[in-house]
Amino acid sequence: MSAGAIVLMVLAGVVLALVLTGAAVYNGLVGLRNQVRNAWSQIDVQLKRRHDLIPNLVETARGYMQHERETFTAITEARARAAGARSVKEAGQAETRLSQALSAFNMVVENYPELKANTNFLSLQEELTSTENRIAFARQAYNDQVLFLNNKVEMFPSNLVANLFAFRQEEYFEMEDLSERQAPQVRF
Amino acid sequence: MFWSIIAANKRKTVLLIVLMGALLAALGYLLGVYLGGDFHPLAGWAGLLVAALVWLAMLAVSLTAADDIFLHLAGAHEVDRQSWPQLHNVVEEMQLAAGMHRMPRIFVMDDPSPNAFAVGRSPADCAVCVTAGLLALCNRDELQGVVAHEIGHIINRDILYMTVAATMLGATCFLSDIFLRNLRFSGGRRYRSRSRKGSGGRAGGYLLIMALLLAIFGPLFSRLLYFSASRKREYLADATSARLTRYPAGLAAALEKMRRSPARLTTAPSATAPFYIVNPYRPQLSDNAFATHPPLERRIGILKGMAGGAGYGEYLKSYRRVTGSRRALIRGGDLNRSPLAQKVDQRGPQAQSVAMAANVAAARKRSGDIIRAVNGFAFIPCACGMQIKVPPDYAQSTFTCPRCGAVHRIPEVGREHVAAILAAAAAMSAGRADKRQPQASAAPGSAERKEQVVARLPGQWQGFDCSSCGRHYQLSPAFRLRQLSCSRCGNVIRVE
Repeated sequence: MSAGAIVLMVLAGVVLALVLTGAAVYNGLVGLRNQVRNAWSQIDVQLKRRHDLIPNLVETARGYMQHERETFTAITEARARAAGARSVKEAGQAETRLSQALSAFNMVVENYPELKANTNFLSLQEELTSTENRIAFARQAYNDQVLFLNNKVEMFPSNLVANLFAFRQEEYFEMEDLSERQAPQVRF
Repeated sequence: MFWSIIAANKRKTVLLIVLMGALLAALGYLLGVYLGGDFHPLAGWAGLLVAALVWLAMLAVSLTAADDIFLHLAGAHEVDRQSWPQLHNVVEEMQLAAGMHRMPRIFVMDDPSPNAFAVGRSPADCAVCVTAGLLALCNRDELQGVVAHEIGHIINRDILYMTVAATMLGATCFLSDIFLRNLRFSGGRRYRSRSRKGSGGRAGGYLLIMALLLAIFGPLFSRLLYFSASRKREYLADATSARLTRYPAGLAAALEKMRRSPARLTTAPSATAPFYIVNPYRPQLSDNAFATHPPLERRIGILKGMAGGAGYGEYLKSYRRVTGSRRALIRGGDLNRSPLAQKVDQRGPQAQSVAMAANVAAARKRSGDIIRAVNGFAFIPCACGMQIKVPPDYAQSTFTCPRCGAVHRIPEVGREHVAAILAAAAAMSAGRADKRQPQASAAPGSAERKEQVVARLPGQWQGFDCSSCGRHYQLSPAFRLRQLSCSRCGNVIRVE
């Protein structure tokens, strides 16, 4: 076997190894991107669930709370804005506002013991609490997945493959931290 | 979840299966030689074959049906969304937080002691089980912490390892038990007769000693392996729970309630103890080699000591501080490389959950009172504000109040009295209990009694007599009620 043939075979081996590694990295990237999409659809489901719960909640509570028109208006408006949001960032802002409106509502509920004794309202409130939690947890999971993907897209050597096949960094779904919510207005 | 932990768990599961297989094969071979060596030269291999069959059967069981068998042993039944909406919601929240694609099945055990466990093969096929005691005792945040701990076992792939380990332990114990029993009854006679033939008598002696060692130390060894594995996993699942819920105080409070609870799980077989979140038999066992769980105080201490965040990093820091151990739960390299090690903030407790729990407690108390009233309990309001419920089979005619020490006489339990309580309970459950005149609706036949008004002297003991029957009452300085009814005649006394 001549020296040229050996060099050729080594070169072919290196190229083959590169292609195989590239394919593995590419598959990993596709898997991550799909997980990001799946995580986003989970958030989406929960946000819709919250939008569906709100009319029920408002209807149940309205009879007991005649003097809280502002609270209800705030909730309904925030809901409408959230339902019309287009980008991830816009949705995050609108949903934050809706969360604020709902937490203000929860504070006001404390003043209506009759409403708090209503079992229908209590089960709605449990559903709402759960939905708020689910949104928070789905957001955690989504952001974790985005972090995985963005790391891969940015870091060497997987960034070479990512650039070649136009993988982009995804946006985080940001909502303000629950503890940093604005203090609700107190009226006497 | 760390990929290294998951990979290590998968690797260990395979290793465990192989190890246990080898142990079983050796035991089976020696058992075969020992029992049948006189009759056939291939008896050892027959024993090996039997052991292999046992191993395969055990493996098949642990990979296909072990979770169902386990749930059945525990007496758990599957529940749907309608019967336990909050439990269902909490599990679904944790499923989302963990990024699992499918809901675990949810089971409830009818047992008063608070506990929980998870079983299954993979995150796509698993089940979470909690006791009725846990549901009754914990509020939403605490329940969430416990469920997150179980989900942590699932996503760290602990459940498959533990299931295989438990099944294999069972198989090893089974075989060595047969061996030791035969040895005891036959007194080693067969071995001697075989050695007299001269064919490998020396080797036979070694074989017997080896078999003995295996039979004695095999189960011991597998138990140690099983239990030590489960201890480290409990810490890791606690860390996962804190990270998933962002609220370590919830799990800490739940563990504290489990530690305080006097009730012990009655339905669990002892070999299944490592599956539970706290050891159902000896929850406060110290940290020795045979403990299935780390000491509860330590787990609570670590969770409470997590300062400034809810991530794995904070848990590990707290773990080192509380246990004083240098041994790392997760290898440092893994921690630094994983994006999950980033700091995450803790959230606050949920305000509504407390209101819900208070409602549930009030409802439970009310239904308990109704049942007691139907069963002829006497309800005696003490002057200190305590409502004392005396069972109908109470023999003495007087009793002392456990709070203030006042001596009461037991009244005749009349039909009217029971009816009064039932009516009051119905009014309360309808949410329309008129707080100012409960006795008016409770005792309709008492219109001729006139209301008595006592002027309250603040901050001191005060005595007065009932105006219609003359019974003497004493009010303690701590008495806060505005109204009481005479326990002998039912007269209403207003305190102002």
